[in-house]
Amino acid sequence: MKRFVLAFIGAYVFTFLWGWLLNGVVLNDVYAETATLWRPRSEMMSLFHWIVIGQALVILAFVMIYACGFAGGGVIAGIRLGIMLEIAAIGMHLAIYAVWPYPGKLIVYGSIAGLIEMVITGAIVGAIYKPRTTASA
Amino acid sequence: MNHKRGFAAFIAAFVFIFFFEFIWHGMLMKSSYLETASLWRSQPVFPLLMLGQAVVAFAFTGLYVSKVGVNCPVTGAGYGVVIGILCAGGDLIRLAVQPITVKILCLWIAGGLIEFALAGALVGAIYKPLSNSTVA
Repeated sequence: MKRFVLAFIGAYVFTFLWGWLLNGVVLNDVYAETATLWRPRSEMMSLFHWIVIGQALVILAFVMIYACGFAGGGVIAGIRLGIMLEIAAIGMHLAIYAVWPYPGKLIVYGSIAGLIEMVITGAIVGAIYKPRTTASA
Repeated sequence: MNHKRGFAAFIAAFVFIFFFEFIWHGMLMKSSYLETASLWRSQPVFPLLMLGQAVVAFAFTGLYVSKVGVNCPVTGAGYGVVIGILCAGGDLIRLAVQPITVKILCLWIAGGLIEFALAGALVGAIYKPLSNSTVA
C-alpha cells in the first residue's frame, strides 16, 4: 500500500508539472488561435480544482491497472502500460476530432505529448511500485 | 495468448462501443448537444469517429487479453470500471477548460462507466486463455 501511494504521488507530481508545461506554456499559441473553443483563463482558474481531481483520477486508475496486471515488471512494464493506454487515448482523440472543430495540429501535438507523458508516467510507476511479496513472473 | 478469441473479443467490443455510443451520444444526449451547438461540428467526421472507436476497442481488448486474460465477465466488468474511472478523470479536466455543461459532464461520466463496464463484461465473457497458459 505504501508503494502504491508513493507511485501515485510520484506519477501525479510529474503529470501535474507536465500538464502545466505543455498546456500552459508550449501550446499557448495554438490555444490562442482557437480561443472560442476554450473557457476564458479566469473561468479556467475558478474551475482549476477539477483539473487537479481529474488528473488524480487518471493517475489512480493508471496505478491500479499497473498494480493488478503489470506489478513486478518494473520500468519496462510501466512503459508498456503507458503505451497501451496512450493508444486508447489516441483513439479517443480521433473521436473527439470527429465531433469537435479542433485544428488537426492540436490532435497531433496532443497525441505526441500524451505518448511522452504516458511513457514517463509508466516508467515512474514501474520504478516505484513493487508488489508486496516476491512475485514469480 | 489465444489470438482467435482475442480477435473475436475485439470485434464484439468494437460493435458494442459503436452501437452504445450511437444510442448514448446520438440519441439520449442529442438535446444536450443541441443546447451547446456552437461547440460541435455541424456534421461529425464519421470515418474518423469509427476509426477512433476501433482503436479504443483494440487497446481496451488488447490490454485485457495480454494482462488480465481471464474468461470471466465479472472480472472484465471490473477492468472496464477502472478504465471508465480513467476516462472520467479526462472528462473532469475537459469541464475545467472547455465550456461544456455540468449535465453533459455527468452524462459523459455515467456513459463511460456503463460503456466500459459492459464492454469489459463482453470481452471477459468471450476471451478464453489457451489451456496451457498461466492465469495471473
